[in-house]
Amino acid sequence: MVKAGIEAMNVFAGTTFLDVKKLAEHRNLDRRRFDNLLMKQKSVTLPYEDPITFAVNAARPIIDSLSAEEKDRIEMVITCTESAFDFGKSMSTYCHDLLGLNRNCRLFEVKNACFSGVAGFQNAINFVLAQVSPGGKALVIATDISRFMIEEGGDALTMEWSFAEPSSGAGAVALLISETPHVFQVDPGAIGSYGYEVMDTCRPSTDSEAGDSDLSLTSYLDCSENAFLEYQKRVSGADYHRTFGYLAYHTPFGGMVKGAHRSLMRKHVRGVTPSDIEADFERRMVPGLTYCQRVGNIMGATAMLSLASTIANANFDKPQRIGVFSYGSGCCSEFFSGVATKEGQERVRAMGIKEHLDRRYELSMDEYDDLLVGSNAVKFGTRNVVLDSNFIPKARTTHGRPTLFLKEIKEYGRKYEWVQ
Amino acid sequence: MNKEDIFAIVTRHTQEVIPALRGHQFQPTQSLRELGANSIDRSEIVMMTLESLALRIPLVETVKATNIGELVNVLHAKL
Repeated sequence: MVKAGIEAMNVFAGTTFLDVKKLAEHRNLDRRRFDNLLMKQKSVTLPYEDPITFAVNAARPIIDSLSAEEKDRIEMVITCTESAFDFGKSMSTYCHDLLGLNRNCRLFEVKNACFSGVAGFQNAINFVLAQVSPGGKALVIATDISRFMIEEGGDALTMEWSFAEPSSGAGAVALLISETPHVFQVDPGAIGSYGYEVMDTCRPSTDSEAGDSDLSLTSYLDCSENAFLEYQKRVSGADYHRTFGYLAYHTPFGGMVKGAHRSLMRKHVRGVTPSDIEADFERRMVPGLTYCQRVGNIMGATAMLSLASTIANANFDKPQRIGVFSYGSGCCSEFFSGVATKEGQERVRAMGIKEHLDRRYELSMDEYDDLLVGSNAVKFGTRNVVLDSNFIPKARTTHGRPTLFLKEIKEYGRKYEWVQ
Repeated sequence: MNKEDIFAIVTRHTQEVIPALRGHQFQPTQSLRELGANSIDRSEIVMMTLESLALRIPLVETVKATNIGELVNVLHAKL
């Protein structure tokens, strides 16, 4: 059977971030509640950034590293998101254009809340495994931004804002999927899916989010168990504790992942003590948590951000099997696995993701609150606007390399510019 | 197992998760939320209770309970 997996991957987590500890002090959040989140920073979207700028900025270094022939073999571009600004037109069309890809290419977008990235990834893996176009590659870009406004009215679906605000981030992960999986080779068919209808969190109107945090937490925990049980049914001898050198989980916030790991360890490892669980968490999950703690929840892209973080930060003296779990509200979840090696780590590290996170501009609380008042936000359905390039100008050059920004919206069409 | 036993298990785990509640006089009409348990704490208390009861039900089915008494009723009905 042909191999399939990730040939290259990169992360773009915006141009600005917020120190969430300072945010917690600014909002007078309960210290103990805040510590439970296990979050450090979160990326923030500026008015001249949108899901396209994140997506293209993530994908461009991958595309630039390809020869003209390799680039022409990209036969599918899938955007994965819950932050699109059009119900019909797929953002993959903008990405395809801005990246200058071959027109003999399938372009579409997928949605299932935070599960979207893995939905797109599996679709691309199947394209490779099915060998309908031998040698063909797929570009999968999961990209999401947080909505600032909270849905008001009614009392059932009200987010606990104190949890949601410090953990909601913005970012994109771009994956080049092919039959030369230098970074992450999937175990074909080693997948446990689990989904059912639940009204936990959603985006029921154009510029806001709604959710029931208790339902969302418990649904995540139910799914993390049931998706793994299905994986175990399909992969004989699979063991939660021994099969995977590392675990990369969708991370709405660190505390959630820690809770899911604790629950599965208790159920699957006989006689395990709390200190065993803590040591296992530090060893197998903290490498994947590292970037997530600095970016926040980037919805459809988070599971893959955790995978990138694992590959960049774990120990690959020998090849390691990584168990990946994705959960998307609504809901759908999957546990699947693949193998990464030292070569993959070197390739991911060469993208300089840590350095990229370090270069983001830190927003002051005044600058952040200025964003929230709304006068600067580009609302869904905006027909014409020219973005103010003087707003937080330091953000525009903070990365020291060409960065894509939204320039204007003209008759709904979005115009972008590369800023050096 | 009767409801009083389940109530005792829920309150015991609540005190383990929130040590400040040791010695607290729990009432069935009190909610875990008003006792200071956040969403993570609440799911932890429910998971520990399910383990103690050797009960396997989806956690989401326990979310509709608005106070400890209702949670005990939900769990008792599943035994």
